Amino acid sequence: MADIFERLLHLDRRWIFLFVLLSVVAPILVPIGLPVDMTAPTRLAFDFIESLKEGDVVLISFDYGPSSAPENDPMVEAIMRHCALKKLRFVVCVLYPLGGLGLANNVVAKITREFPDLRYGVDYVNLGFKDGASAVMRRMGDDIAGAFPTDVNGKPLSQIPIMKDVHDLRQVKLVFTAATGIIGEWWITQVHPQVGTPVIIGPTAVGAPKYYAFLNSGQIVGMLGGMKGAAEFEKLLRDRYPRMETFYKTTRAFTATKGNDAQTVLHAVILLFLLLGNIAFFRHRRASARA
Amino acid sequence: MHLPHIGVWIAAFLTISALSFLYKDNPFFRFAENLFAGVSLGYFVGITLDQTLMPNLISPMRENFGQNWDLMVPGLLGLLLYMRYVPKVAWVSRHALAIYVTYYIGVDFTRRLNGEVMPQLARLIQPLSPFDLQTLFTLIYIVGVFSVLIYFFFSKEQGPITKRISRLGIWFLMISFGAAFGFTVMGRVALLIGRLNFLLFDWMYPILGL
Amino acid sequence: MNLEFGRVTLVILFALIPIVGIFLGMRAPALRSRIPIFIGLFAGLIPILSMYIPKRFLSGETGMSPRLDQWLIILAGFALLLGIVNVLQNSMRKISRRESGWPFSIVLLLGLFVTGGFGIYGALSGHGIGIAADGTPTPFQYMTNWFFQPLQSTIFSLLAFFMASAAFRAFRARNTEATILLIAAGLIMMGRVPVLELLALPIPALHPAAASASQGLGKLTEWIMKTPNGAAQSGIIIGAALGAASMAIRVILGIERGYLGLGKGE
Repeated sequence: MADIFERLLHLDRRWIFLFVLLSVVAPILVPIGLPVDMTAPTRLAFDFIESLKEGDVVLISFDYGPSSAPENDPMVEAIMRHCALKKLRFVVCVLYPLGGLGLANNVVAKITREFPDLRYGVDYVNLGFKDGASAVMRRMGDDIAGAFPTDVNGKPLSQIPIMKDVHDLRQVKLVFTAATGIIGEWWITQVHPQVGTPVIIGPTAVGAPKYYAFLNSGQIVGMLGGMKGAAEFEKLLRDRYPRMETFYKTTRAFTATKGNDAQTVLHAVILLFLLLGNIAFFRHRRASARA
Repeated sequence: MHLPHIGVWIAAFLTISALSFLYKDNPFFRFAENLFAGVSLGYFVGITLDQTLMPNLISPMRENFGQNWDLMVPGLLGLLLYMRYVPKVAWVSRHALAIYVTYYIGVDFTRRLNGEVMPQLARLIQPLSPFDLQTLFTLIYIVGVFSVLIYFFFSKEQGPITKRISRLGIWFLMISFGAAFGFTVMGRVALLIGRLNFLLFDWMYPILGL
Repeated sequence: MNLEFGRVTLVILFALIPIVGIFLGMRAPALRSRIPIFIGLFAGLIPILSMYIPKRFLSGETGMSPRLDQWLIILAGFALLLGIVNVLQNSMRKISRRESGWPFSIVLLLGLFVTGGFGIYGALSGHGIGIAADGTPTPFQYMTNWFFQPLQSTIFSLLAFFMASAAFRAFRARNTEATILLIAAGLIMMGRVPVLELLALPIPALHPAAASASQGLGKLTEWIMKTPNGAAQSGIIIGAALGAASMAIRVILGIERGYLGLGKGE
């Protein structure tokens, strides 16, 4: 017995890698359909969007890149679907330099395929990317066209109908930022105190613990923490809108709900690793103390 | 059978090349790593030119110089930044660098005080009556914040009282770091799920005709 | 010609003074650091004062601050590309000296020139760098979709493996602090996702008990996240913010000049 633990401690780490790989692949290939439990920050976010009125403008900021796309993509997709279903108008912008723009273009294209009624320039607009995130946010507080003179394709904002109602951030009813790093946080710490626009953040799971402090202080009105938060939001959408229930059941595309099984299995595996590692450690320590 | 298009094959090859590092460092991984660095830099060139410099600098000056003549200055300051690579006159770039750094640090200053310190401290001012479970939680919260701050600010010389309080602060921090570890596991796994999902459903399944 | 107060003042501060500074600096080396620090003081104070003193010449529509924000968006664009020169120099040196791994530097340059080239083409031709109206991606978006995105997300996903390995090898309950850390991590991992339901899967009789235990654990997890974790994070935020704010004052006043490549006395 002691031998097994001793051998485990000196196991080639590639075996651990292989084990991790298999425990993620298996539930992707054979879905289990584990339940998604709801948490308060996601429900707050959902309820806030539900409370908005038809035609209200939501700003969706892509403050992440491919390094966290599997977590953040499902969030922005779910938020955009929610906007489309509630008939809220949305303005998309990108402030994260390392890959945010490519993702934003793809997500917008995907959602507008799902909702062909959405009209570009009327129901939504893609402003594209801009360098110098905090200067951009400051300028948007005074005048959005000062920071984004054109949309992503170079069309002047004065020719885009939706922007006639949105001169600056004060006319925006909600900022949703899908964030991988510090840029998303600036919507909370810079824009919110400056212009008062409510903010919902969709951080990666790694960043989520920090935002509980902002949730407690009332600086954000909701949060979708990582892929789990996105899965919770998807569940709320499915419960509220029957059309979404069919969509999430039948889509071949990747959704956060589909990732829930693999996440759970790997969590169980890591917990097992922690347990085995510590048992081996204590046995080893006791043995050396005896010696 | 409907084979995936060339882009999917390229992405699959690059994904597997990058994952091959797990077995050991090898030329495929180094190829992927260097290609990633190059493509990232090229990506910066594309987005900066097309999305920032064109609409915010070049087009406004071309279309209405009288209104936007002053934008010449940030354009020239931007070029000045590159003088740092010319050793003899590298000091010239300091003028542009000073403006760039101090402006963003000035913005950061307002953000830290207005957006972080004040609202976070305001959260701590709460009524203690009626004293119920929620008030107890609030008290725990307040004790937590102050003990962590005392741990930070008295990390050099500690008296017997501050020592105990900062020990408590460490415990709060440990709970938070443990929670962060749990969340980090979740985040990292999500990335892997995303990649494997791509390899399986976008690349392998179509090859197998599924 | 628009000669609003804000623009003209900015041009005087950040164009005329630097020009004079550069000329003087050629003769008097001491001024090569003093004048940048002097103009830096203004660049740092404008965004701060415009928040606290809402006077027209600063934060009004024609004031300095909104125009400076616009300027700094442009300057940030130039700054983002600064690193490229360095990488070009290093790669060229590696290739010309045939240093070890030089063929990989060619790969790097190829990635840079092809992607950057498509970007420049998109910007100058007016086709853009996104998705065309008919749904076809531009060459730049193609590079983004099939080269950049898979590479970046895969390289970051490697961390999942190393983290699992670290959990097994390094995460030990060595003392009180580490034990608290370990327990919190374990509870969060069990409470955030339905691990208990997964473990009860083979035994149907346990399903209801697992579901209710999982819910209870979920509530405990939320409490940990909200209260002790929220408190610690709040403490970290306040502590770090005070540190950063005092550092900001030092930089703006020119006490801290490391970013200009200068020591304290220079």
